[in-house]
Amino acid sequence: MESFAASLLNSLDIALLLFVIAVGLNIVFGVLNVINFAHGALYMLGAYFTFTIVNIWGLPYWPSLIIAPLAVAAVAIVIERVMLRYVYDRHITDSLLLTFALLLIIDDLVLMIWGPGIQVVEPPALLKGTFTVFGGRYPVYGLFVIFMGLVMVWGLWALFTKTRAGRIMRAASIDRDMAQTVGINVPMVLTGVFAFGAWIAAIGGVVAAPMRAIGPAMGDKIIIESFIVVVIGGLGSFPGTFLGAIVLGLIHGFGGRYLPDISLVLPYLGMALVLLLRPQGLMGGRGSA
Amino acid sequence: MRTPSIRSRIVRSAFAIAAAAGLAAGTAQAQEGEPVRLGAIYIMSGTASVYGQFAEQGLELAIEEINDAGGILGRPVEYELQDSQLKADVAIQAARKLVYQDGVHALMGIDSSGVAAGLVPTIPELNRSLIITHAATPDVTGKLCNRNTFRISVNINQNMKGAAMVAAETDAKRWTTIGPDYAFGHQSWEFFGNYLKEIDSSVELMDQTAFPRFGNEDFTPFINSVMDSDPDGVLISLWGGDLVNFVRQANNLGFFDKGFEVMMTVGAATEVLSALGKDMPEGVWLSTRYWFGAHDNPMNERFVEAYASKYGNPPSYNAEGAYAAVYAYKAAMEKAGSTDADKVIDALSGLTVMTPMGEVTFREGDHQATVGPTWGRTAGMNEKYGIRNLDPARTFDGRDVTPSVAETGCKM
Amino acid sequence: MKGSIPLVVMAAVLLALATLPYYVPYFYIFVATEVLIMGLLAGSYNLIFGYTGMLSFGHAAFFGFGAYITAMLLMHFEVPLLWAMIASMAGALVLAAIIGFFCVRLDEVYFAMLTLAFGMMVFAVALQWRSLTNGSDGISGFPLPEFGLGIDLTLADPMVYYYMVLVIVVLASAVLYLITRSPFGLMLKAISENPERVAFCGVNERRHRLIAFIIAGTFAGLSGALFAPFNRVANPDMVHWTQSAEPVLMTILGGAGYFMGPYFGAAVFVLLETWITSYTDQWMLFLGIVLALMVLFFRRGLLGTVLDRVMGR
Repeated sequence: MESFAASLLNSLDIALLLFVIAVGLNIVFGVLNVINFAHGALYMLGAYFTFTIVNIWGLPYWPSLIIAPLAVAAVAIVIERVMLRYVYDRHITDSLLLTFALLLIIDDLVLMIWGPGIQVVEPPALLKGTFTVFGGRYPVYGLFVIFMGLVMVWGLWALFTKTRAGRIMRAASIDRDMAQTVGINVPMVLTGVFAFGAWIAAIGGVVAAPMRAIGPAMGDKIIIESFIVVVIGGLGSFPGTFLGAIVLGLIHGFGGRYLPDISLVLPYLGMALVLLLRPQGLMGGRGSA
Repeated sequence: MRTPSIRSRIVRSAFAIAAAAGLAAGTAQAQEGEPVRLGAIYIMSGTASVYGQFAEQGLELAIEEINDAGGILGRPVEYELQDSQLKADVAIQAARKLVYQDGVHALMGIDSSGVAAGLVPTIPELNRSLIITHAATPDVTGKLCNRNTFRISVNINQNMKGAAMVAAETDAKRWTTIGPDYAFGHQSWEFFGNYLKEIDSSVELMDQTAFPRFGNEDFTPFINSVMDSDPDGVLISLWGGDLVNFVRQANNLGFFDKGFEVMMTVGAATEVLSALGKDMPEGVWLSTRYWFGAHDNPMNERFVEAYASKYGNPPSYNAEGAYAAVYAYKAAMEKAGSTDADKVIDALSGLTVMTPMGEVTFREGDHQATVGPTWGRTAGMNEKYGIRNLDPARTFDGRDVTPSVAETGCKM
Repeated sequence: MKGSIPLVVMAAVLLALATLPYYVPYFYIFVATEVLIMGLLAGSYNLIFGYTGMLSFGHAAFFGFGAYITAMLLMHFEVPLLWAMIASMAGALVLAAIIGFFCVRLDEVYFAMLTLAFGMMVFAVALQWRSLTNGSDGISGFPLPEFGLGIDLTLADPMVYYYMVLVIVVLASAVLYLITRSPFGLMLKAISENPERVAFCGVNERRHRLIAFIIAGTFAGLSGALFAPFNRVANPDMVHWTQSAEPVLMTILGGAGYFMGPYFGAAVFVLLETWITSYTDQWMLFLGIVLALMVLFFRRGLLGTVLDRVMGR
């Protein structure tokens, strides 16, 4: 049982990676009222760009933390301008289907560009190796994931509460017409928010790249996980996403080990229970993105 | 990066021609000079598409060689490939399309147990032969077997019989497993346990096992739980991206420094070895259904050289399976003197054919080829390909590891 | 005058379907069978989606449950297919009642997410309860029995199976159609358009939605019962959320605003997949592009767009 502390840390790094991916999904939902099925595909693009930067171009890992998310955000701007903006005023199913189509397109393009093989990115030398906590071993890279997750939590919190950009986003999420009349360029804000969501997803991809095998369709698994996180925490709720990610991280970190026969059911059971008992999520409340 | 493979040699318009001619079931007349058409079903999209790519490469290479040498029965060979999407119902509809619409003379392929278990019972109705080149479930040459279905690749029984023989020679007495939570993982453990108990009844098969869900990504909790239970030996049946993730995380946790005997049942797959490089530790036992360096015969030498120069990698087991199946069809059709499905099936049953793995025979009782896995211990790096060497490598004779037909439960 | 156009078109479509095996290549009998089964799945789905305005992501739970029930009954008891189908419908009805009881409490995205959660719970059970469901391999290798009622059909003959599916799907769809035209169906439409007003009029909105959910689930169970013997297998894929996405796509493709829209969408979807996959491995790319164009430019669906023109809506 000396590995209990390590398991706890492990749950935490799973949780914070989930948070980084899911929070972008939730921001896009909160402001644009779009459930982005292709969000996991954008995460995947982040990982593949990292692979190209590190393994093909031979650059060190660190620049990819800047380059890859910006590249993915650029892709997102194109997506938003060419497709997504035409369905904002329609029923939510339209954007859902459109982003589902996008998921199919990106998945196949990735397969065509990078091929079907399994790719591995080495962590930077600084983050290699392990250390010991209460007798259990734990990788240094896990700490980096936790650190990055916490930086994102703090940064997003500061953005939403302390900056003008954050206030504009919140205004646009509450009432677009009102925001427009008080002089906010709403179409620009919406493009910006979608690109921002993609940028965060891609950071998740860059952070995941050195610890998860990169392969085609790797975003498909993560998107359902992100739905679970967002629902458990509350649709549109930023602190909720953090809590939801912690809950799912603990389910993954301990559930498979202690309740193997129902490990697959557990996340969905949790999701259903939250929806039935507290549909607004554990930290619910609309418009608090 | 690679450019996507383009199936240039396929006559795509055959689809339109066949439709126009109203080509119906069984009316494909074997005419002099008309191409021999093979229908292949592999996974070409999604997470596991690397297996489909390897298979297509093996298939392509074999057909090229055969066409250069005058084809089959003096007729050129073509193939038509369909994506199984790793779903049984998609594969079944694909097989129907290949037979009725594209008029293929024979079928081959199938990557997963679930797809194979769904597809195999429908093959007799299509009145074609099927050679399975990858899926390892015992059932398709066991309780689901039928006259039309053959398998040229190593199945779970054969691989686990070899595994048990290797395990019995180690000092490990307490065994546990980490495997994917679906039929493959559970069956691997079950057969391994049974065979090992037969050889050495004193071994202990632990109750504490770990079956993470397929595509789990983070295996840390399962690795910790196995380390806590302190076994002597661990059988690992994870594969593909799961295995890559597992090995890297296990390295971090010191799993390989604990002195366990570690046996990975699909560990020596080239896509896993080249992804991991030096991260695959030394001194663990890896198995593969075919190891390019383990077979000392002219055909294997030619195959490995041609494959490596064409695609830049040594051939994986899935490439070999597809390659061998094409040659098996060549031998069967030439023995039958025809591409007629009934005659080809009769010719295949009991046929001995030369493959890169040496001479293998499709047994009459269950249509499983007498092939054996290669189990080897990882050693230094093969610098040419950036993968671990296997030394020693022990290749099992198919006759030693294939259970008797009575044991398989197959009734033709 | 305009009102009779759909009737004429319907009669022509039925005639074309009834004579289909005589003028299409043999393989297209299989394609047509799949289209009909998927059409019934999408048609049943549209009762909750198009008519009641609920976006469900768990419809495959009932489809898959129906498939498993029929597969198991054929495997272990070799019951006549008709009884297996009725059992599948009954089973799907019970499951839909249980899942629907919880789901209709929620609206919009919350409803969608809850149906996704329940659907995936059914998937997890199908995958992990190996002693009952045979896990990932599913139930396969079962014999095709007699039809029942003393009707002598060689179900293993694809043409016979096609005609059986045609008759059952047409009958089931006729029942679905009558439901949509009944006072109950009109009430569903009213709920989807203006739930507040309906509630104001003293109508138990939740109960109507639950009944619609149960009916849709029951017919999805029937389509599953037709699908298992068609492919000789029932496996966890048929319960997965990707299977749930199919009726949604088909309905949007065809048009949720018309009763025949989902059936038409199923035909387009299955044919597209059949054709694209024979020409390229990149079928997802093309399907994605087609789908995106559909959503952007033909939001009423292919059939919906055409009918809107013809009917002057």
